[in-house]
Amino acid sequence: MRKKKNWLVTSLLIIGTLLIFFPLYLTINIALKTPEEMAKPLLSLPDEWRFQNFLDAIEMTNFFQALSNSFIVTFSVVVLTVLTNSLVSYAIARNMHKKFYKGLFYYFVSAMFVPFPIIMLPLVRQTAIAGMDNLIGLIFLYIVFQLSFNVFIYVGYIKSIPVALEEAAVMDGASSWKIFWKVIFPLLSPMNATVAILTALYAWNDFMLPLVILTDPEDATLPLVQYIFQSEFSTNYNLAFASYLLALLPMIIVYLIAQKWIIGNVTRGAVK
Amino acid sequence: MRLISSLVISLTTAALLVGCSDISSQEAGIVELELFSNKAENIATYESMIERFEEQHPNIRINLYAPPDAETLLRTRLVKNDMPDMLAIAGNALYRELVSVDMLVNYEGEPMLDPIQPAYLQTISDLEGSEKEGIHGVPFAANANTMIYNKVKLKELGEDVPKTWDEFIQVLHKAKAVGEIPIYFTFQDSWTTMPAWNSLAGNLQPKQFAEKKINKEVTFQGTHQEVAEKLLQLKDYGHNRMFGIGYNDGNREFSQGKGVFYSQGNWAIPELIKLNPELDLGVFAMPITNNPSKNKLVSGIDVLFATLKESKHPEEAKQFISFMMEEQQQQQYMEEQSAFSVRKDVLSDDPIMEGIQDNFSEGKISSFPDHFYPAGMGAQNMIQEFLYQGNISKLLKDLDREWDQIQLRY
Amino acid sequence: MKSRQRAFLLMTIPAVILFFIFHTFPLLQGILYSFTNWRGYGDWDFIGLSNYVNVFKDMRALNAYGFTFQFAIVSTVLVNIFSLLIALGLNANIKFQKTLRAVYFLPNILSILIVGFIFQFIFTIFLPQFSDALGIQALATNILGSPDHAWVGVVIMAVWQATAFNTILYLAGLQTVPEDVYEAAAIDGASPWKRFWKITFPLIAPFFTINMVLALKTFLMVFDHIIALTGGGPGYATESISVLIYRGGFEGGQFGYQSANAVIYFIVIVVLSIIQLRFLQNREVQQ
Repeated sequence: MRKKKNWLVTSLLIIGTLLIFFPLYLTINIALKTPEEMAKPLLSLPDEWRFQNFLDAIEMTNFFQALSNSFIVTFSVVVLTVLTNSLVSYAIARNMHKKFYKGLFYYFVSAMFVPFPIIMLPLVRQTAIAGMDNLIGLIFLYIVFQLSFNVFIYVGYIKSIPVALEEAAVMDGASSWKIFWKVIFPLLSPMNATVAILTALYAWNDFMLPLVILTDPEDATLPLVQYIFQSEFSTNYNLAFASYLLALLPMIIVYLIAQKWIIGNVTRGAVK
Repeated sequence: MRLISSLVISLTTAALLVGCSDISSQEAGIVELELFSNKAENIATYESMIERFEEQHPNIRINLYAPPDAETLLRTRLVKNDMPDMLAIAGNALYRELVSVDMLVNYEGEPMLDPIQPAYLQTISDLEGSEKEGIHGVPFAANANTMIYNKVKLKELGEDVPKTWDEFIQVLHKAKAVGEIPIYFTFQDSWTTMPAWNSLAGNLQPKQFAEKKINKEVTFQGTHQEVAEKLLQLKDYGHNRMFGIGYNDGNREFSQGKGVFYSQGNWAIPELIKLNPELDLGVFAMPITNNPSKNKLVSGIDVLFATLKESKHPEEAKQFISFMMEEQQQQQYMEEQSAFSVRKDVLSDDPIMEGIQDNFSEGKISSFPDHFYPAGMGAQNMIQEFLYQGNISKLLKDLDREWDQIQLRY
Repeated sequence: MKSRQRAFLLMTIPAVILFFIFHTFPLLQGILYSFTNWRGYGDWDFIGLSNYVNVFKDMRALNAYGFTFQFAIVSTVLVNIFSLLIALGLNANIKFQKTLRAVYFLPNILSILIVGFIFQFIFTIFLPQFSDALGIQALATNILGSPDHAWVGVVIMAVWQATAFNTILYLAGLQTVPEDVYEAAAIDGASPWKRFWKITFPLIAPFFTINMVLALKTFLMVFDHIIALTGGGPGYATESISVLIYRGGFEGGQFGYQSANAVIYFIVIVVLSIIQLRFLQNREVQQ
C-alpha cells in the first residue's frame, strides 16, 4: 500500500528552506555587486556580475595560501586521526576487562567535560615554547584533542565486532598489529567515514584554536584570514563578501558532491 | 625498548619538521623584521614607506602585521614568549606595562630623538612613570581628539565654530531643530565613545588623576560627575541608529552628509576624505567649559616605535626607526594620515587642521585620560553601556570598582 | 600472549603520553596558576584563594555567566524545538525528501565565524535598510546595538546554524521507529498529536537526551558567534565566559585570575552535565 505524498508538509518544508537560503543568497548577491550599488535595495540582483571582487579578495587575503593551509591541516588531521584514534580504541576495546584499559577509557572520555578555555592559556604558552605555534602544532593538537570523543564512539563500535574473527588470525600466528590493519580496520570503515567527516568539518571550520595557537600570519587558515582582514575590508562589503564566499565555497562544493554519503555517515554516528 | 625507541623517533621527527619550517623562512643574507602595528588606517602609508626603505636597504625586509583586536593578539604573543621585532603602538597602558617589565630597548641619547618636540618626549616619560629611566619608545606621530564638522552644514545653520560649552549646545540645539543630525555617533563600536569622554575628562578631571586614584586619594564618583552629565547631554543630539552603527559605517554615512559634527580624532579624516573627496571638513577642540581660555585639546602619542630587547636584529630595527623619523617620511605620514608630526621642523599646513593650530602653538593641550587607566579595565565598554542606559551613578561606581578590582589581581 | 599484550600497550602508551602532555598537563597548570597572580610572563607569587574570591565580586565575570546561561538555555530549547519539527517533517511521506534533507543540513558545514559575519551584516545594514524601505520603524534599529536585545541576535544566528546537526540526529532517531507502531496507533484512531506524545516521543527519548546535552554543552562554550557578531558588546552585554577568559587572560594580563575563572567554569560544566544526564535519564525510565 503506497500512501499519498503529504503535500502540506512538503510545501511547509520548502518555504522553510528560504530561511536557509536567504543569507547565502545575500552573500552571493553582494559579492557580485559594486560598492556603488550598495545604496540600492540589497536584495535586487546586481546590474552586472562583477567578478573583480573575487580577484581583489584573492589578492588581498592571499587566498590560495590560506586555502592550502586549511587543506593541509584538514587532510593531515583526518588521515592521522582515523589511523591513530581507531588503533588506540581497538587496544582499549579489546582489554576493557582489565583495570588499566578501563581506566584509560574513562581518562580519555572524561576529558570531554573539560572546557577548552581552562587549558587554553597554559597550552598557548606550552606550544609556543616547544616551537609548535605553527601548522604542525595545530595538526598535532587536533589529533590529540579528538581522542576523547573518538575513543568513545570507536570503542562502542569495536565491542560489537565479534572477537571470534580475530581468534582465527591469532591461531595463524598473526601479530596484533597485523590483525588490526588486516581484519579490524577494514571492518571499521563505516565508523571511519563518520569520524573522518566530523573531524574534517571541525578542523576546516574551527577558528578558536588557530586564533590562539598560530603566530605567523602566513599560517592562517581560511576562517582566521576572514577575521584578520575584517579591519581592512572596512565598509567594502562587496570585497568582504567575495572573500567569505571564497572561503565557504570549497566545503559547499564537497558537500554538493557527497551530501548523501556525508549525511548517511553522520546519521550512522548518531545511531551508534 | 621498542616503546622508547618509537617515542624517540616520533619526537625527533616532530622536532625536525618544526626545525625545517624555521629554516625555510630565512633566505641567505636577508634580515627579516616583523613590525606589529595596532592600526588599520595607516597600512597603505606604512607599506609605501617600507618599500622605500627596502630599496635603500636591500638586505632588510620589513614584514608589517596589522591584525584586528591587535592588543589582545599582541598579549597572546607575550604569553607565548614570541614577540615581534618592532612595535608601532600608541602611548598607552600597554606601552607602560611593556616598559615596566623591561622588554623594550632604551633609545635615550640616540640622535634620532633630537628633532622631536620636547613635549612628546615628556609625555613618554610621564607614561613610563617616575621609577623608570630612559626613552623606550620613539614618538612617531601625534593625534588629537577633535570634533570634526561639516563646514557646509555649519554654514547653512548660520553658525561659527563654538567657543564655549553653552555655545556648542546651542548650535547642537539649532541643528536638531532644523531636522539635521547634530552629532553622528557610532556607538556600536565601544571605543568610539572615547573621543568625547576623553575630551570631557581631559578638561574636567583633577590633575594627576590616575596616580591619585591608585593611591586611593580620589574616586570617579567624587570627580567625574560633570564628565558623565555632559556626555549624557551630548547623547541627546545623536540619532536614532547611533547604537546600531559602527565606526566604518559611520565614516561612510558622515562623509555622505549625514550629521553636522562627528566626534572623532584626526585619524578619521583620511577615511572620510577617501570616502568622499569633495567633503569640506574642519576640526576644533570641543569646548568643555564656558571659559574659552581654559579649554584644551586632548592630544597624545598615536604611534610610537619600539624595539623588543629580544629581537635578534636591534641594529636593523634602529635603522628602520631612524628612517621613519626622517623629514620625508614624517611629511608623508602627516599628509596621508592627517596626523601631526612630532618633529619640531615639520608643521601641518593642512587647511582642515586650521581649527586646532592655536592649541598646538599656544600649548593648550592635555593628554589622553584613558591612556593612564589600567590595562584591561574596559572603560569604553562601561561608557558604551552607560550611554544606552543613562545611569550616571552606576557608571561611576562601576569605573571605581573595576579599577580597584584590577589592582587586586596583581 | 605476552607479545599481544605488549602490542596493545604500544598502541596506547604513546597516545596516553601525548594526551597527558597536551591536555592533562595544561589543565593541571591552569589549576596551579589559578592560585597565583601570574600575568602570563615575568614573576609570580602564590596568592591562595584570592582569585576565586575576586571572581565572585567581579561584575564582568558574573555578567558573563548570566549571559552565557541565558543564551545557552534559550538556544538549546529553540534548537531542539525547531530540529524536532523539521525532522518530523522530513520523516513524513514527502516529496523531494533527499533534497530537502540535504538543504536543511547545509548550515552545519559552514564556518560559524563566517556565518556570523554575514549575520552581522544582516542585522546592521540589511534589516535597517529593508525596514526603511517598507516603513516599518520597529526593525529600523540594529538589535545588536542594544544591550537589552543583542543576545537575541546571537541566539538567532546560533539557532540558524545549529539546528541542522540536531535535525539529523532526530531524523536518525525517527528512522529507528518501526512503521507498524504507527499503523497500530492509526487503527486505534489516535490523533496525530496524541500519537506523537504517546508513541513517537518516548521512542526517540534517548535522542532527545543526547541532543539536549550536546546542544547545551556546545552553547555554553560559545565563542565564534560572539567574536563575529558583537565582540561581546554593547558594554559587556554579550560577553560569554569563553570570550572573557580569552580577552581577560591575554589582554588584561590576568592569566592567573582568568585561570581561576576557568576552573569555576569547568566545575559548573561538570555539575551541569551530571544533573542534566540524571534528570533526562530518569524521565526516560519513567516513560
